[in-house]
Amino acid sequence: MSASTTTQPTAAAEPDSAPAKTPLVRRVLRLQAFQILLVLLVIIIVFSTLAPHNFANLSNARQIVQNASILAILGVGMTFVIITSGIDLSIGSVMVFSGVIAAKVMIGVGGDGWSTALIGIVASTVTGLLWGVVNGVLIAKAKIPPLIVTLGSLGMALGLAQILTHGVDIRQVPQVMQDKIGYGNVFGQVPTLSIIALVVIAIGMVVLHATRFGRYTYAVGSNEESARRVGVRVDAHLIKIYALSGLLAGFAGVLSLAQFSTTAIAGQSQTNLNVIAAVVIGGTSLFGGFGTIFGTVVGLFIPAVLQNGFVIVGIQPFWQQVAVGAVLIAAVYVDQVRRASAARGRPTRSLLRPGGRKQSRNEGPPEGDAA
Amino acid sequence: MSSTKKWLAVASVALLGGGVLSSCGSAENNSSSSSGGSGGGGGKSIAFIQGVAGDQFYITMQCGIQDEAKKVGASVKVQGPEKFDPTLQKPIVDSVVASKPDAILVAPTDVSAMQAPLKAAADAGIKVVLVDTTVNDPSFAVSQISSDNEGGGKAAFDAIKKLAPKGGKVLVVSVDPGISTTDARVKGFEDATKADPSFQYLGVQYSHNEPATAARIVTAALQKDPDIVGVFATNLFAAEGSATGIRQAGKSGQVKVVSFDAGPDQVKDLKDGTIQALVAQQPGTIGKDGVDQAMAALGGKSVTKKIQTGFTIITKDNMDTSGKSAIYKSSC
Amino acid sequence: MNTEQEHTARPRSGTPVLEARALTRRFGQVTALDGADFDIYPGEVVALIGDNGAGKSTLVKALSGNLEVDSGQVVYKDVVRVIDSPTTASHLGIETVYQDLALAPHLDPVQNMFLGRETMRSGVAGRLGFMDNAAMRKEAREAFDKLGATVRSLDAPVGSMSGGQRQAIAIARAVHWASDVVFLDEPTAALGVRQTANVLDTIRRVASHGVAVVFISHSMPHVMEVSDRVQVLRMGSRVATYDTKDTTMEELVGAMTGATGRSAA
Repeated sequence: MSASTTTQPTAAAEPDSAPAKTPLVRRVLRLQAFQILLVLLVIIIVFSTLAPHNFANLSNARQIVQNASILAILGVGMTFVIITSGIDLSIGSVMVFSGVIAAKVMIGVGGDGWSTALIGIVASTVTGLLWGVVNGVLIAKAKIPPLIVTLGSLGMALGLAQILTHGVDIRQVPQVMQDKIGYGNVFGQVPTLSIIALVVIAIGMVVLHATRFGRYTYAVGSNEESARRVGVRVDAHLIKIYALSGLLAGFAGVLSLAQFSTTAIAGQSQTNLNVIAAVVIGGTSLFGGFGTIFGTVVGLFIPAVLQNGFVIVGIQPFWQQVAVGAVLIAAVYVDQVRRASAARGRPTRSLLRPGGRKQSRNEGPPEGDAA
Repeated sequence: MSSTKKWLAVASVALLGGGVLSSCGSAENNSSSSSGGSGGGGGKSIAFIQGVAGDQFYITMQCGIQDEAKKVGASVKVQGPEKFDPTLQKPIVDSVVASKPDAILVAPTDVSAMQAPLKAAADAGIKVVLVDTTVNDPSFAVSQISSDNEGGGKAAFDAIKKLAPKGGKVLVVSVDPGISTTDARVKGFEDATKADPSFQYLGVQYSHNEPATAARIVTAALQKDPDIVGVFATNLFAAEGSATGIRQAGKSGQVKVVSFDAGPDQVKDLKDGTIQALVAQQPGTIGKDGVDQAMAALGGKSVTKKIQTGFTIITKDNMDTSGKSAIYKSSC
Repeated sequence: MNTEQEHTARPRSGTPVLEARALTRRFGQVTALDGADFDIYPGEVVALIGDNGAGKSTLVKALSGNLEVDSGQVVYKDVVRVIDSPTTASHLGIETVYQDLALAPHLDPVQNMFLGRETMRSGVAGRLGFMDNAAMRKEAREAFDKLGATVRSLDAPVGSMSGGQRQAIAIARAVHWASDVVFLDEPTAALGVRQTANVLDTIRRVASHGVAVVFISHSMPHVMEVSDRVQVLRMGSRVATYDTKDTTMEELVGAMTGATGRSAA
């Protein structure tokens, strides 16, 4: 069977027998992301019992998913960034700025149909990409910490957006965007925004977990110096990561424009922190090297479902903040525990470990392992 | 305890704790608590969605709503976004709609962005009353109730003229362009200023509902034009910040400030002499009218599509007498 | 510049696979390398010893592409080369195991082995970035086995493994990719008795496959046990070379500290 990583000092592994790959199912179950999914399910169950008719129905689920879609797209980019132990605070402002550019371009081009809309989408996405590249270059080449760089671009992007519009929101958006994208549905019931988000999530998952780009992301986050020494082009990779985050922010910006049919310059003020919270709740470590997109998606739903449930049950709005804050701290605590036990050499705990020895907290791998 | 169990324990405690503590908290909010749907019998359920939570204007409105609702036997739930931001308000509106109240009283945070979500609420059979702000096409709403903001802007100008009869430069500090109420106040003030040759209109600047930004704007403006005679602040947070800015510049008393809205801090500033006049809206009345319109619609009776409520000018002279009842509340 | 040694080993036949001639490197006021020489022949094990600050690590960094030199030549198989990056060194067939091992703790042994040199799938999939994990896994397994290193799990992150395991993985990585020379910087410094024995055994095995091994060490017993030659650095230059079987630990220590032979001239 599989060579599990339980430490048994007397076991002499034979050099000839190749350990079979730990089964996929077992590895999934060990993921912190899966454990957070359970927390989400618990929250859903609690609210379903408190408000059975209003909470646990299809149309409520639909609107939760629709409202979380744009954040999910941002979450994909942020997951990549945080895995490299970086951070991107500028996404909200880049969204707004890209939305402004898109709106202006579309007004300039004129028209109400799909061709105009597509031009706007491209304009917005490219704008976001360019901001991301600026971020990446400053971080990778000028060696300025990501927190500072993205804090700066947060201010610059928002300020430029205000300059371009003189502070007045642009509310002219091609009708087809609001109808088909913002509020459109595919197959009748599934919001178009959510399908778009799903596609982005799927691509993100494949890239992160199955391509070299994803592996280098983990490597850079795990030990940037080591990656450099073995020849990974770390600077170029970091630029690409922030470019990706910017590109997705630009894309999200035009989607937000479609959904709200206004550039909402005063909006998105908390988006960056909400997305970061979602990524962290989902199990991605702020210290880099570890994380999943699946976790980010689950992490997104926890505050969304909490807010929705609290509103339906009738709880004062400020409590929602308290609850989300508590969940966030709990998530970071669990990450700490996981990292500490990984460092001590024990495997991370899973819910389903058939049999196996109970391990005491202090036991680590014995130093004299058999050769 | 394994870390997984610990995790679940922490999360459950956080959740249950939040739920227990908040049901104590939410009792203040509900005149009669009912979880979702109408309270059975004749009692209707009303949801009030504020423009921003924690703003005394909306709290006073809430008090008016709750008082009136008690009289007609309806239950009230109150929700509001942390900031005056449609991207924050929309998910709340969607969730409120999912809880299927009989009526929603709402202050939309953007004329375009909130159009579709609120129309969807109306389409779902909920009676929607727009209080304070409005949307591009309010035809789906039962009624729109707000202060006569343009008239209020003009009245603010009149107050400044009374305080600075010789005329001079005046500045407006507003919130964000695109908010129907504050834009109307600016327009009323601007038209009145431009019609009077003894005053010079320096324009309007936006403080994004942040007092700190308003303070910065005013101190910068005073650097540029030290001889400003009057500032009109179009809402509560703008007023707070403007007064701070004038104090910081050391020009209290020299620059006359007229502010819209009459929160406790502004009343204090009025007492201290940093603000000279307050144009108080009547949010309690707006709330009361909102409940009445909603109940009329629910009962199949006729409604009044547009209601404009008035305002009270509060000065140091009348703040303890005739102006006292117009001051906004911090809690009900 | 001091090219005259206090002691030289027996002359060798053939050409050295890697040679350093009069390398000099200054860091501000400090001269880390002062006309240092070095040579190593195919398939031999050379111990590089010297007191603290003698310049051993600096020499290895220069030869492995991690450090520029101010002057001097590096000659690889009779051709003068400029080794300006670790990648250049790798292409020449020189690999290095640093003291900190340069492993990514969150990645598993296979991923670490192939980091920077992943096997891609063929065709479009490869160009899109998809890797051939099965092939890499098989190759890694074989590389570990060849060295007799038992890696218990190919899926666990290396950060959760013991120091000995991680050392084995780092050495296996270097050996796998190196065709000519492997540098080991203090490979036994942090290890216990049994693991040290494994490492020394590994060094012998590697050399027997035709790959030259240079290891820096402070432990004279280990030096005596496993090396063919010993080169001694002192104050940035090579002061002596010994054939291991012709020397003693005392002599080596003496050369390191300068207690015997000529005093600094």
